[in-house]
Amino acid sequence: MSVSRNNSKSIQPYPYKKQSWFSSFADSDNKVGWLFILPFLILWAWWFFYPFVQSFIRSFQDMNFAAMDEAKFIGLNNFIQILQDPEFFQAVLHSLQIVLIAVPTQTLLGLLMALLVNQKIKGKGIFRTIFFIPYITSQIAVTTVFMMLFKQGTFLTNFFGIFGFGDVTWFADTSYALIFVAILFIFQQAGFSMIVYLAALQEVPKDLYEAAGIDGASKWDKFRYITVPFVKPISFFVISVSTILGFQIYDQIAAISRYGALGSPAGATSTVVTYFYQHGIRYMNIGYGSAAVLLFFFIILIITFLQKKLLDDKE
Amino acid sequence: MKARKHLALFANYAIIIVLGLLFILPFIYTIYTSLVSTRDINKLVGISNWTFDNYIMYFTNDAYNVPRWFLNTIIMTGAVIVGNLIVNPLAAFALAKLNFKGKKTIYWIVLATMMVPYHMILIPVYVNMANLGWLNTFLALVVPFLYQSLYIFMLRQFFVTVPNEFMEAARIDGMSKIGLFWKIVYPLARSPLITMSILAFAGTWNSYLIPSTLTNTPKMYVLVVGLNSVKDAVFENTALIMAGVVLTTLPILIFFFLFQKQYIEGISSSGIKG
Repeated sequence: MSVSRNNSKSIQPYPYKKQSWFSSFADSDNKVGWLFILPFLILWAWWFFYPFVQSFIRSFQDMNFAAMDEAKFIGLNNFIQILQDPEFFQAVLHSLQIVLIAVPTQTLLGLLMALLVNQKIKGKGIFRTIFFIPYITSQIAVTTVFMMLFKQGTFLTNFFGIFGFGDVTWFADTSYALIFVAILFIFQQAGFSMIVYLAALQEVPKDLYEAAGIDGASKWDKFRYITVPFVKPISFFVISVSTILGFQIYDQIAAISRYGALGSPAGATSTVVTYFYQHGIRYMNIGYGSAAVLLFFFIILIITFLQKKLLDDKE
Repeated sequence: MKARKHLALFANYAIIIVLGLLFILPFIYTIYTSLVSTRDINKLVGISNWTFDNYIMYFTNDAYNVPRWFLNTIIMTGAVIVGNLIVNPLAAFALAKLNFKGKKTIYWIVLATMMVPYHMILIPVYVNMANLGWLNTFLALVVPFLYQSLYIFMLRQFFVTVPNEFMEAARIDGMSKIGLFWKIVYPLARSPLITMSILAFAGTWNSYLIPSTLTNTPKMYVLVVGLNSVKDAVFENTALIMAGVVLTTLPILIFFFLFQKQYIEGISSSGIKG
């Protein structure tokens, strides 16, 4: 009871009520603030910060899941080994290839779809839904369907044959598998970009177009001098988000690899993500895998930074 | 001039229809193939030849365990959403409206965590789960995902816009800060909370990387992981696999059509603000 007596001395916001221990607690910004933050903070410390630190430390260790106690510090050896592994450079190259094919394509496709459904067209709501549905569908489900569609001898492979592509099972062919992964990413991500662009397009004041129309501006002029400046800032968001997601692609590759090693066929779809997963989780080589993850994070940071420099400075 | 306008309109329709077909045909193919028997695959057959056998197979053949996978997915998704509905708004409210010591640090933590891909901590999470004996349990699929820093950030942005007068009025009525949160602010946040739940639902239901890493017994598979295993096991049986795709995808599509408006608003607002 001494607590409540102490509190009676402090300034009371509503003196007609007797201050209980609870109400004095429930009135303090500091105490309630920490009470409300606590559930998040505990979960975060336990399942984010702690593993994050572990990941960092273990990248300098030689540690295997089968013999965790025998871990020893080996300095930068993991990193040196990774950077001497040609498979790692192949994986980085594949990640970059996927991003370079998929990101510009899905960005332009998203913009095109946004422009189309932003017009006075019948059924534009239906089209908006159709373009968006792949985004909310599971990657595994979409990959599964496309695997069936791109099997040798099916309609699609025959169709692409007209344009000089071989009639092969795309996901099982070393020269097509990576493009196949990029197509899957474009198919799913474009709908997201469309929605973001659409929101930006709807911010453009309608009278700007009307005024330009009176001045005799052509459709192309309006697009070039009104629409483009308005969607330019949001393009940075669309491009950087899809780049980061492009680097993180995993599900699609796991699905096409089937029972083979991740990155099948024959390493044609190995990426930085499958590289660290294969070493860190499948081979249980924790130290080596952690070092690979750190490099993966580093690559994403550099690319995001470069994009910011390139795209933002133009404004 | 008029002819040009007509031509432009025609071109618009032509492009949007071709694109629309490209995007919708894989789904039509999936539904159609799931409804035919194996010998009719890649052929067009009339409705009289359609069958639900592929679907029935999943629920009658013990090899597939689909009811169990459904249950697992529902438990995982449900628990994650409930957790997010409690943990995130509490933290977001504190960050938006309460002046506590260390607030800036916590806010910085939330922002920084948002930027880090989950891959970054996957290996230690896997090892810690194994050491705790949590692999192949719901604890592994749920506990680390009860909060989401992105949603804390989104909700904080909303709570900041709640006028302080609301809070002061409640204070004059003798309401505590805790009461203020549950009775006034939480109900006010209905719409952003719905948006958050929808995003969390889609993200959790479709997740593959985490459940496939933290579970490896068919009994503990969620639908997406189960589907992938069925696909690998009976790869030549396209019709059966397509029925699996429909079963996995249908709940999320129904959910999307129910909440389409909020979902799309949520995406575009996170895009604009992000």
